[in-house]
Amino acid sequence: MRIRLRGGRVLDPANRENAVARDVEFVDGRVVAPTGERADAEYELGGAIVMAGGIDLHSHIAGGKMNLARLLMQEDRRAYPEKILPQMSGSFCGCGGGRAVPTAHATGCRYAELGYTTVFEPAMLGANARAAHLEMADIPNLDTGAYLVLGNDDFILRQIAQGAPQEEINAYVGWMLKATQAFAIKIVNPGGINAFKFNARKLDLDEANPHYEVTPRKVLTTLIRAVTELGVPHPIHLHGCNLGVPGNDETTLATIAATEGRRLHLTHLQFHSYGTEGDRRFSSAAARIAEMVNANPNISVDVGQVMFGQTVTASADYMSQYRNRGLANPKKSIGMDIELDAGCGVVPFEYRDKNFVNALQWAIGLELFLLVEDPWRIFLTTDHPNGGPFTTYPHLIRLLMDRDFRNAQLATLNKTAQAHTLLGQITREYSLEEIAILTRAAPARILGLADKGHLAPGAVADIAVHDENADREAMFSKAKLVFKDGRLIVRDGEVVDLAPGTTHVVRTEFDTAIEGKLDAWFDRTVGLKAKHFRLSDGELRGGRGPTVLNCVGGAS
Amino acid sequence: MSSETSAGAPLIVNDVVCGFCGLGCDDLVVEVAGREVRPKASVCPEAARLLRRLDTADEAGPAADEVYDRARRLLDAARAPVFAGLGADIDGGRAILDLAIRHGGVLDHAASDGLFANYAAVQRTGWLSTTLAEVRNHCDVLLVIGEDPTAAFGRFFERALPAEALFTASRHVIVLGGSLGASARRQLGGATVTELAADDPVAALAALGQMVSGPAPRGASFGGATAEALAEAAAALKGAAYAVAVWNAAALDPADLIAERATRLVDALNVTTRAGVFPLGGRDNVTGINQLLLWRLGYPLRTAIRGEASEHDASLYATGAALKDADLLVWVSAFRPEPPPAFDGPVIVIGHPDIECATPPDVFIPVGTPGVDHAGTVFRMDSIVSLPLGALRVATLPSVAEAVRRLVPVR
Repeated sequence: MRIRLRGGRVLDPANRENAVARDVEFVDGRVVAPTGERADAEYELGGAIVMAGGIDLHSHIAGGKMNLARLLMQEDRRAYPEKILPQMSGSFCGCGGGRAVPTAHATGCRYAELGYTTVFEPAMLGANARAAHLEMADIPNLDTGAYLVLGNDDFILRQIAQGAPQEEINAYVGWMLKATQAFAIKIVNPGGINAFKFNARKLDLDEANPHYEVTPRKVLTTLIRAVTELGVPHPIHLHGCNLGVPGNDETTLATIAATEGRRLHLTHLQFHSYGTEGDRRFSSAAARIAEMVNANPNISVDVGQVMFGQTVTASADYMSQYRNRGLANPKKSIGMDIELDAGCGVVPFEYRDKNFVNALQWAIGLELFLLVEDPWRIFLTTDHPNGGPFTTYPHLIRLLMDRDFRNAQLATLNKTAQAHTLLGQITREYSLEEIAILTRAAPARILGLADKGHLAPGAVADIAVHDENADREAMFSKAKLVFKDGRLIVRDGEVVDLAPGTTHVVRTEFDTAIEGKLDAWFDRTVGLKAKHFRLSDGELRGGRGPTVLNCVGGAS
Repeated sequence: MSSETSAGAPLIVNDVVCGFCGLGCDDLVVEVAGREVRPKASVCPEAARLLRRLDTADEAGPAADEVYDRARRLLDAARAPVFAGLGADIDGGRAILDLAIRHGGVLDHAASDGLFANYAAVQRTGWLSTTLAEVRNHCDVLLVIGEDPTAAFGRFFERALPAEALFTASRHVIVLGGSLGASARRQLGGATVTELAADDPVAALAALGQMVSGPAPRGASFGGATAEALAEAAAALKGAAYAVAVWNAAALDPADLIAERATRLVDALNVTTRAGVFPLGGRDNVTGINQLLLWRLGYPLRTAIRGEASEHDASLYATGAALKDADLLVWVSAFRPEPPPAFDGPVIVIGHPDIECATPPDVFIPVGTPGVDHAGTVFRMDSIVSLPLGALRVATLPSVAEAVRRLVPVR
């Protein structure tokens, strides 16, 4: 099946095409060089912008914590009922609803309407991997993948405490990536979630875990080395220590220094950029942190922008979520210690524009976006749903691209917060090309997805078309056309078809001698056999299995 | 783990995963001889009973095409079906949900009473909970509320409190309002057991919670437990490094109040030490089907699909209440021969071949058992861990998913 998009303007930063007027052609789900051959379908675009499908590298879309959030926040579900899809003959596809914690179908449909075609769940627990994959299989229109949370599991903390050689740690990481069908390694509050199980209420970068006497710094550097040596494309995806704590700017700066030049991704950096200046002992450290990010090309970040309104926060960081549960709105929260593995905390939250802290959080996020210079090392996220639902992305894009709009919003916020941010003085406006880098080209590059995030021949035909509009929020709210693997799934902002996605996983080489130790560990300690913990390929995507990226290791 | 068996020598199968009670044991040893499955080791009495299916004779064959036709006609004619029982693996659950989306109707599980008693607490305030591996290795003081859990979860203490733990050298079990039987005591080995009689466990638990969180309430006894004994229990819980509270909501009344008081007690403990609730339940994959509904519909069980939308109401859409307004009952029970509840209208049973109905159902489609006849996924009671069930013998009956998908005409 050959499909041709005529008269569009191609925005493909990976191939240095900035709104180049040319046709785009794809055959059986892959982009090809334009030909003169007869196409099975042609779409006249009238100058609309053509980009690769969006890629979100950090959005909580599946797994036990999302189901706990759904259970706790039934009001979110009731407030956002099923959306009827008129172009699908009004048929009820079981798509459910919800905004902060949408159902699997609603997640796939709402993302597709925005032009996104690939989304990564950034915090899958090994113990919950089977459930997370079952849930991802039910998300239509999106390719997915998941980062495995490591670094709070008792197995690796024991390894590190006992001085296990790096090769043995690498073997464990390689085995776990395969067993849980994961795409990268995430560390959440390194060792802190574990320390909370021993009643520690905080854990700084150089503070020893009360039981293992291992520091977060050691956990971090050990796992950075593991993924580097195994050749996992995405660097360690780090949710650092002291999330949300004023003064955590020092921790963040020390964490960057701790990498000693090795690659590291700092996620939802906004929540880790808080100083202690001023009467309220809460201030923006965005400028200091952006400066350090700019100076360290080994560092990439996503922002975790706060967007005003009701949401629910769901995190593996039970230590931090327990600390913050007094702020819950509505007043209820769930916490859980999980399987010698990690934990989770679910706390509903309403970010209010008249609240000093919330307003400053909003400003800090935008400061980071505007002060980090290299668009290839910063990614557009709200840490969905923790800073706000992903459906607020178009609004966020306008805040980045339209200074007047941004300053008008700023002027409505809490007055004290306005006085504590330099946002009003920042003149930068993102260009369309930069937005395309943040939302497609750069995520594909940092994830190692060679056939995504661009439109050169051979690329997956995941394509989003947007009509040009000076109101960037309107422009990005509704894609004109979206193709998933070459199949039309969205027309004029409405879902018209449900395409099955795939799930990306990585595989590394590892020394299988680790299996004997893991068999004993799971059997005697966890109380579940390693062979039952492990997922087979056939358990993914309803039997279709994963899309495997084989890693080439050896680097150090 | 799947095993081709013929008339040859019996085959010993190790590490069998069990999907019946929700505890998630995965170390069973069984002997398979032809159609017969015989428990050999690490099998609790309940699993032993359910593994030995009676359909070893050749009387239970698959349903004929006409039976499926009849079921389809009943479904097409129904305006308000109730899909209940729902004892199925995840794939079976997906098929039932697709069918319910097609026809509309109410979805509930036979074992959801306990679940919703707990949800009364969790949806109001939330709770702080824990999972099996944490209990195994951290728990030094376990508070059991109500009767011995061993009756419903045969290997509970063996699995939750094994002799060896990573982080505690001692185990203390406090039973409030019940006593432990011989099997429980055998499984507990050297653990200290304190039994605290209480005729009103809600009142006793409330007092215990107050003693933990602040000044002790005035009185000599609470709910039949002496203030002195409760104070000792409170001191043990506060002194614990990691206390855990368990109860089986399905066996308690009023279970919602027990869940609420236990939640409050654990909240209070976490101010100074660590603690978690570990609610027992989860038979016949009620946890898994509930999880499936949460990610597919955004609502738990007891949800109605009508027209183009779904809505949840824990009272209105409980099986018993929903049947009052129903014109068709679709009863699914693949794990055990659980008969459908009494219902005046037409009944379709998709279930274990040994189900004995008081009145013969209009349609009976016998299906295999997940973990015996076919592979499948079930969730453990904690809702975090799920397990791959294997097949022990060649299936002669369809799975729930296969049977239900035959009810949907090909478009």
